[in-house]
Amino acid sequence: MASSFSRASNRRSANISGTRSRLSTSLAEDYVETPPHYEDVPPKEYEESMDDRNTERTSKLLRRDLSTTERRNEKRSVVTREKLVRRSPVKDSSNAGNRLDDGRQRDVVESPKFRRKQRDTEEPTSPWSPQATLVPHSSAPLATRISAPPVSSVAPKTLLPKPFQDMPMQEQESVLLDDLLYVFMGYEGQYVRFTDSYNPTEDKAKLAGPDFRILPGLDPSLKDLATSMLRMATHYSAMEAFVEAQSREEFGSVSHALCAAIRKLLKDYLILVAQLEMKVISDQSFTLHQMHLHVIPTAQSLAHLYALAQELLKKNSLLEEDLDDSIDDFDDADNILERLREGGDLLPGSMTKKGCIGGNVLALLTQRLEAYSGDPAARTLLEMLLREASRPYVNMLNEWLHHGGIKDPHSEFLIGERSGIKRERMDEDYTDEYWEKRYYIRDREVPTQLEAVKEKILLAGKYLNVVRECGGVNISKKITNIPQTFSDPQFLDNVNTAYSHANSSLLSLLLTENSLRSRLRSLKHYFFLDRAEFFLYFLELSSSELRKPNKSVNIGKLQSLLDLVLRQPGSIAAADPFKEDVRVKMNEISLTQWLMKIVMVQGIDQDNQDSIVERYQATPAPSVTKEDDKEINGFDALEIDYTVPFPLSLVISRKTVLRYQLLFRYTLALRHLETMLVDCWSEHTKTQSWIHKSSSPRIEIWKRRAWTLRARMLVFVQQMLFFATTEVIEPNWQKLMAKVDEAKAPDDFSDQTSQQEQQPPVLPSSNTTTKTKRTVDELMQDHLDMLDSCMKDLGLTQGKLLKIHAKLMMGCTMFATYTSSLSRSLYAVDPDLTNPNTTTNHTAEPNKTTNTTTTAATTLNAKTSSSNQTPIPNPSATAANANANTESDPSRLVRMDETLKKYEDHFNRHLKILIDSLNYYAATETVVLLGLCARLTAAEVGGNREREAGLL
Amino acid sequence: MPREIITIQAGQCGNNVGSQFWQQLCQEHGISQDGNLEDFATEGGDRKDVFFYQSDDTRYIPRAILIDLEPRVINSIQTGPYKNIYNPENFFIGQHGMGAGNNWAAGYAAGESVQEEVFDMIDREADGSDSLEGFMLLHSIGGGTGSGLGSFLLERMNDRFPKKLMQTYSVFPDSATGDVVVNPYNSLLAMRRLTQNADSVVVLDNGALTRIAADRLHVQEPSFQQTNQLVSTVMSASTTTLRYPGYMHNDLVGIIASLIPTPRCHFLMTAYTPFTGDNVDQAKTVRKTTVLDVMRRLLQPKNRMVSITPSKSSCYLSILNIIQGEADPTDVHKSLLRIRERRLATFIPWGPASIQVALTKKSPYLQNVHRVSGLMLANHTSVATLFKRIVVQYEKMRKRNAFLEQYKKEAPFAEGLGEFDEAKEVVTGLIGEYEAAERDDYLDPEMGKERAESS
Repeated sequence: MASSFSRASNRRSANISGTRSRLSTSLAEDYVETPPHYEDVPPKEYEESMDDRNTERTSKLLRRDLSTTERRNEKRSVVTREKLVRRSPVKDSSNAGNRLDDGRQRDVVESPKFRRKQRDTEEPTSPWSPQATLVPHSSAPLATRISAPPVSSVAPKTLLPKPFQDMPMQEQESVLLDDLLYVFMGYEGQYVRFTDSYNPTEDKAKLAGPDFRILPGLDPSLKDLATSMLRMATHYSAMEAFVEAQSREEFGSVSHALCAAIRKLLKDYLILVAQLEMKVISDQSFTLHQMHLHVIPTAQSLAHLYALAQELLKKNSLLEEDLDDSIDDFDDADNILERLREGGDLLPGSMTKKGCIGGNVLALLTQRLEAYSGDPAARTLLEMLLREASRPYVNMLNEWLHHGGIKDPHSEFLIGERSGIKRERMDEDYTDEYWEKRYYIRDREVPTQLEAVKEKILLAGKYLNVVRECGGVNISKKITNIPQTFSDPQFLDNVNTAYSHANSSLLSLLLTENSLRSRLRSLKHYFFLDRAEFFLYFLELSSSELRKPNKSVNIGKLQSLLDLVLRQPGSIAAADPFKEDVRVKMNEISLTQWLMKIVMVQGIDQDNQDSIVERYQATPAPSVTKEDDKEINGFDALEIDYTVPFPLSLVISRKTVLRYQLLFRYTLALRHLETMLVDCWSEHTKTQSWIHKSSSPRIEIWKRRAWTLRARMLVFVQQMLFFATTEVIEPNWQKLMAKVDEAKAPDDFSDQTSQQEQQPPVLPSSNTTTKTKRTVDELMQDHLDMLDSCMKDLGLTQGKLLKIHAKLMMGCTMFATYTSSLSRSLYAVDPDLTNPNTTTNHTAEPNKTTNTTTTAATTLNAKTSSSNQTPIPNPSATAANANANTESDPSRLVRMDETLKKYEDHFNRHLKILIDSLNYYAATETVVLLGLCARLTAAEVGGNREREAGLL
Repeated sequence: MPREIITIQAGQCGNNVGSQFWQQLCQEHGISQDGNLEDFATEGGDRKDVFFYQSDDTRYIPRAILIDLEPRVINSIQTGPYKNIYNPENFFIGQHGMGAGNNWAAGYAAGESVQEEVFDMIDREADGSDSLEGFMLLHSIGGGTGSGLGSFLLERMNDRFPKKLMQTYSVFPDSATGDVVVNPYNSLLAMRRLTQNADSVVVLDNGALTRIAADRLHVQEPSFQQTNQLVSTVMSASTTTLRYPGYMHNDLVGIIASLIPTPRCHFLMTAYTPFTGDNVDQAKTVRKTTVLDVMRRLLQPKNRMVSITPSKSSCYLSILNIIQGEADPTDVHKSLLRIRERRLATFIPWGPASIQVALTKKSPYLQNVHRVSGLMLANHTSVATLFKRIVVQYEKMRKRNAFLEQYKKEAPFAEGLGEFDEAKEVVTGLIGEYEAAERDDYLDPEMGKERAESS
């Protein structure tokens, strides 16, 4: 008997290792070997024969069990195979490789005698041959691979034990105690069995845990006690199933860590069971009640674990299907695309399964920890679980925070990476894709502890990545002294210090090593032309080229001219270290059209302005209508491009360069017009026909009007330019620089070299840590804001202003262009000049003169009619033929008067509209426009008065 | 480098002012007395090439031509502290060392004989520049060389460089004291050339200069050197936008074009504030130089460098304020509004009426006690009163035929005194032009008449 007992305990200890194979294997065993009946062994003897050695062995085995499975497997494999062949030859081949489970069967092999099951095999007529099968590999390495044994309810009636009714109370208690030990390990006992509804082959049922029922006839007092303990058994079984389910590969390392922690707890639980068994065996007076007392604390722990597990499983939709969440997933289109890109599938199942891993598990734990913070036992338990489960997560976090790396095969970290976005693409990236989208926060994966600092975490790693790409971070560097779990008090400090370290290293990379400030200055230099001299010279040199229509402009020539100008010794540009990065480009669309497109699109799709710009850039002039299709000349098409090396291209991205270009073209147009009007002034001042004092007062008056119109146009353009540069661009830029300076850490002042004489060297201030530094992202935003507010303040975002502005500019341009023909007309009409005695050299071209006058008028006519005016009868239609020069003086003078009148009217009306709309937008959009408005109104006092006088 | 300006200094006054001017520029650009850059002056963000070129040994040489018929002033320059910066080939002294004797006709006549040599110099300088913007002539119109030879040069330059800008800084004689009796003759004759052959004339009135020097510098009898310093300050200030490039006003022609709406009215007056002499301490401390303060002072008559007597109807054709130093654009805007509110400046009724502002930085190398300083270049119709005074004085003398003998000796008057009458006609025409500009009906006399009738 003693041997049988020892076998029993051996068997039990083997079962403790977590297999479900007891029933099946033992039954099979029993069937073959026909061991003695259960009835042959009275409980008394059973208890007596228990000796200390056995218990010792049991517990030893218990402890070794998990750790030494491997080793033992080696030993047993041969025997097992033999055994299995005997039992179920069909399974032979599949069993050959199955090492893990072999260990669990060894006791079966070793102890062929089975005391309890003998009873079940009483009727050889209908042999019950339950079989265990091997389940295929799951991705959980430690999960059992033996299928669940058949439940006892399907066992033949003949195998039923002696009913309780036939037993005295004491016997009832002892069989119950023995049974409970099995039940505690998740097996059915003789009297305590699964309820009928439980199906061990069904995963959901397993995860929910089996319900046990006690066979009828038990004494009510025992029954109550036993029932209360059965819940613990249910929880244990459920936890076993949970650990197996959740340690599958797809649940991620946090789940794995959690499972490992739970496994440890379960092991402790099994130790407890073993100790109970020892008590049951050794202590005859051990009662059910005592057992109950022993298990109470453990039962509570298990209950907590169970509740936690149930919640997790629910989240993971392993318990019941709830598809509500799956709909939300489709908001995250980026993620879906990303997954597609990575070759993943998009089945709804795969989306919903993603439910609760990584950060969510931690979040759940934390949530429960908060909920049960009043319960010390639960608290310790949950804290332990949280600590253990967070380890892999914190490792990932540290890797990210300190090295900028993501080692996250299960996508459970709160930061995601889209590796498809490469920085090589930044050159044509108009949406800052690299910076904004490469790394992102998985909002649903953020553990509660990190919720407050998630932005910081994202930025820290993002910054580090940039620094790393520039070779600034030593990745091999081992970071020591960092917290390993969430519960570490240093945890948030760690995040904060890592963040500020990353921020300051990127800032210093940008500001010091890549001298962002000089870059910005250089950008200002080229795009805003804050020292315009070099560019004016460039325009002068290349004017012959730029006058051509834009398609025939030779860009190579322009580039060489620009290089020439930039390298002129003595020019300020020559001192700029980045002049190599400037390129001349020709845009195919005029600025106004371009801006109008953007403005118009804004109405429909305001949020997505960037993409429109991008699209526009990608396919220039997609739908240019006929009237727009007018060839723009080189001056209108000219723009410059600026290439920026990598880390700086984050701040000076294509997105910003595009805005720089828009601003550049706007001011360039004004500058060019100013130059043209100044040339016109030179003509007026230098040409004989203009400065000659004519004897005809009418011509004199005409000249005065022309001069005045030119002066007004010039004032208008200069006021616009002054406003654009001094009142909009410069203050905005200064604000930005102030912010950049603010961002600059007080301890690095190496960039000061470039501005040494403007300000005395700054002494390093002692408080380097107290100052709140600005982040790189804020810096980028500031930069963009600066450009955007410039555009806004200049009225480049208002379609109406743009239109009016374009018309005014066009009117002025026309006037300036036709000045030379006007001066020739003057020669023709002025009697003093046409008189061959006074001047002979200019009358040689009267024919041409007339022609040009007519062209001027015609063009203006065309222009005015295109701008929705009542068409004025074309003077050229009624014009006298060109051969009459001296005779047609009066009529020609009339025509000149009319032409000038048209220019004046055009200018007056549009200027008035401009001022009115400026007034309107100053009230509704941006106050800055009011300044321009005041300027133009002030400049136009005379003009207004004149107009009023004209109305009288 | 683009947009070079060649300076021609003619006569005693012109050369005195010029040497002050070059001294000032050298200090502002950190150029030492031998033409080399000072060690501290490497990163000024300035353009020296407008007024200087670099010789082979990298010294900075002024684009200046110094002309005088008598050697005294030029000799003093050649022995002065800045003697080494000038190109020795650019000095021209009359062969006989005889001045023009305060006689316009003598100076003008001398022009014929010296023109070849002088234009050689000018051509050489012009060829040495990539994209010549124009010339600046420094002279006085009351004397002989500056007035007479200057007039001759103006005429000839127009033919030789018809496309180039011709700006003069012309010092008008002090009409009250009249240290040279024949001032009115010389002035009138020179005025004709200034009207017809110059594109822009910055009028500097000796009388006003003396007054300002006396008032501002607290000196009873200001020396020529002190008044010349005023002139050189004005000159350097009016060219700061060229030398310290900013967003706007980077070429001379742009500045002038906005100031001179109609070609004939091209006489500009200036005002500068704050002036302080080195020896005046109390003036330094009490000043508060804000943008508004500076701009208001610039409009005050006492800071004008021309003695004019504005009438009720006189008004500004245009104003350009060049503000140097730390000026905030919003301050500028506020100041402009304030000035408009208070009607501190009246403008012509028929044209654009705005005060243009150019913000420039100060030379980093000069210690300056003032935060902000300002120069006003203005085109004001009352400048005609100055011309009227000249005409009146001329007529007084002409009636008596006083001092005409010296003039009759010289070539321009060989065929009679018609030259005087022509000059007077031109100047009167100019005065008429200015007077017409004050009226509403400048652009449309007939409309004005109708309105007068209807009202």
